[in-house]
Amino acid sequence: MVEKSYDVVVIGSGAGGGTVAKELAPLARQGARIAVLEWGPKLRESEFTGREAEMAEKLYFDSGGFLTSDRAMTLAFGRAYGGSTVVYTGTSLPLPEKVLTRWNVPGLEFADLQRRSEKYLAENNVHLMEEDRINDNNRLFSEACRSLGYRVEQFPVNVKGCQGSGLCNLGCPNAAKQGTHRVQLPAAEAAGVEVVTNCRVERIGERECTAVVANPPYGEPSRWPEGPYRIRARVIVVSAGAVNSPALLLRSRLPVALPALGRYFTAHPALILVGEHERPISNYHGHPKSYYCDHFVDSHHFLLETCMYFPFTTAKNLIGFGPEHSELMSRMDRMQMILVLAVDPALPENRVTVDGAGDPVVEYAFTDEILDALVESQRAAARIFFAAGCRRVHAPAGRSFFITAEEAGRGDELITREAFKLGKVSISSAHLMGGCRMGSGPADSVTDDWGQVHGVPWLFVADGSLFPACAEINPYVTIMALADRVAERVRARLPELPAA
Amino acid sequence: MPLDPATGGVSNAPVPPLSEKQWAFLMEVARRVVPETAALDAAGRERFVAIVGKALADRPRSIQRQFALFLGVIRWAPLLRFGAPFDRLAPERRDAVLRAFMDAPLAKLRSGFWGLRVLIFMGHYGQPEAWPSIRYAPSFRGNEMLHG
Repeated sequence: MVEKSYDVVVIGSGAGGGTVAKELAPLARQGARIAVLEWGPKLRESEFTGREAEMAEKLYFDSGGFLTSDRAMTLAFGRAYGGSTVVYTGTSLPLPEKVLTRWNVPGLEFADLQRRSEKYLAENNVHLMEEDRINDNNRLFSEACRSLGYRVEQFPVNVKGCQGSGLCNLGCPNAAKQGTHRVQLPAAEAAGVEVVTNCRVERIGERECTAVVANPPYGEPSRWPEGPYRIRARVIVVSAGAVNSPALLLRSRLPVALPALGRYFTAHPALILVGEHERPISNYHGHPKSYYCDHFVDSHHFLLETCMYFPFTTAKNLIGFGPEHSELMSRMDRMQMILVLAVDPALPENRVTVDGAGDPVVEYAFTDEILDALVESQRAAARIFFAAGCRRVHAPAGRSFFITAEEAGRGDELITREAFKLGKVSISSAHLMGGCRMGSGPADSVTDDWGQVHGVPWLFVADGSLFPACAEINPYVTIMALADRVAERVRARLPELPAA
Repeated sequence: MPLDPATGGVSNAPVPPLSEKQWAFLMEVARRVVPETAALDAAGRERFVAIVGKALADRPRSIQRQFALFLGVIRWAPLLRFGAPFDRLAPERRDAVLRAFMDAPLAKLRSGFWGLRVLIFMGHYGQPEAWPSIRYAPSFRGNEMLHG
């Protein structure tokens, strides 16, 4: 086993780890040894092909189809140089003040989080897409929402030179999306931070971790030779995401008891809904996600967003099979799509555990409130589709495969909770939060408000697992803002901590 | 610059974790789930098997075993109701069997069928060669295609 020694080791390179790496770069310039250990590969530019099955395998954990223990929901999270920032759509919203108030984390102030969020909005070139770059799929959604009196807003996005491939979730083939793989990690590496890809951390021990480097048959080879490693560090920052961070800590030997570890997992459970137009519309060309409607968040606990997915993902998310399914699939150029996200409560029983091999297992139970929200969201989406001119709508909780325009006024009767069966409907999530939640003590949280694990001065967490409850919006800007705090605390603490 | 589907999405197919008989049965089910798979030529079938085989091979052994077992359940369960296994039923009865699994009172049966259809959709719609028939023509320069 090869032995290595660093001042700081960061595990993961996504929105959390990439931010910490860049914020610690000044220390690297002054001679501190800092390494980022990333499980996934760094793909070559030519490897971003836009082909669904191929990119899902290369960029996502379990090809984007990680199943919860009861198989009622799939979780999508990235595994790559840049983590999930390689595969999100780049929608960039800071956390609303009302959500932070609900989080109720002593010491975490809105003004502080806002200041840090704004720093990353600027750093990542976040702006509103020009109007002539908005495709029909997005434009029709916003117009329909307005005609129905629903509040709708344009998403700010973090792109530079977007060519409108629409392939954001498969890794931008035009290098336009400003994820940590484009902004923070290159800046950190330029300052001397080592980013080690294809490196899976197995366990954390007392100021050390063990890891294995193994190169897949794609991407650039890791900067370390293949094989097992023991890496000592004065500080370890865990940024492996809301599934793998708790799982890593659970299979590690920590010097403290953390009863809340893995618990309070939230996911914004999501449905992809489809309406069909009489004629082709522009949908898979152009940026896929330009608008969101938060009109129903407070009243019905769901959020609506525009989206446009790829053939397999679309097919999977339609209910049923056979000729009617094929018929709808054969008209991808006429599809309008809406993503609905439920605002789910943080419950201790929804948690990440590990199996006998140490691999993550996610236990997630759908409450009646979430199921009600997911059913009601389909009724709202159907109203939007029909207001946008769709000839028929496919709803997973529909009593028949299609609801026609003539039936548009009967949404409450035709979309029912009885028809919405777990295990039958494709429910997915790409907003994974909690599991190492911040708080004031170890009884119901894992870290303090600066991301330091309770009782372990050399161990920090910096990713979406810190969220004490769901964000109610797309989470990456908030992850970066929290990671910025963690990096600040690491910089302050490092001189006090003993050498590795 | 449109994406080139001809260069294919999947190569170096692994050894599929199902027997020849199981693959043949899966293709029978696939014809009911995605009717277009009945018309796949040898190359298309090979791509289907490569995609599904890779997806299965990447899953734990326990999942592979459960999938193979579920295929057996689909095959033999119709004996109870129709007196014949799935592959000897008329098409409309095959559809009735699949619908019964899709809407089964037991969540485990529903999710088993969900997993089966997901793999079939992946095998078919995961092939870039299927894109023209579903009018899906993405381009790296999508903005150039907007507004006519």
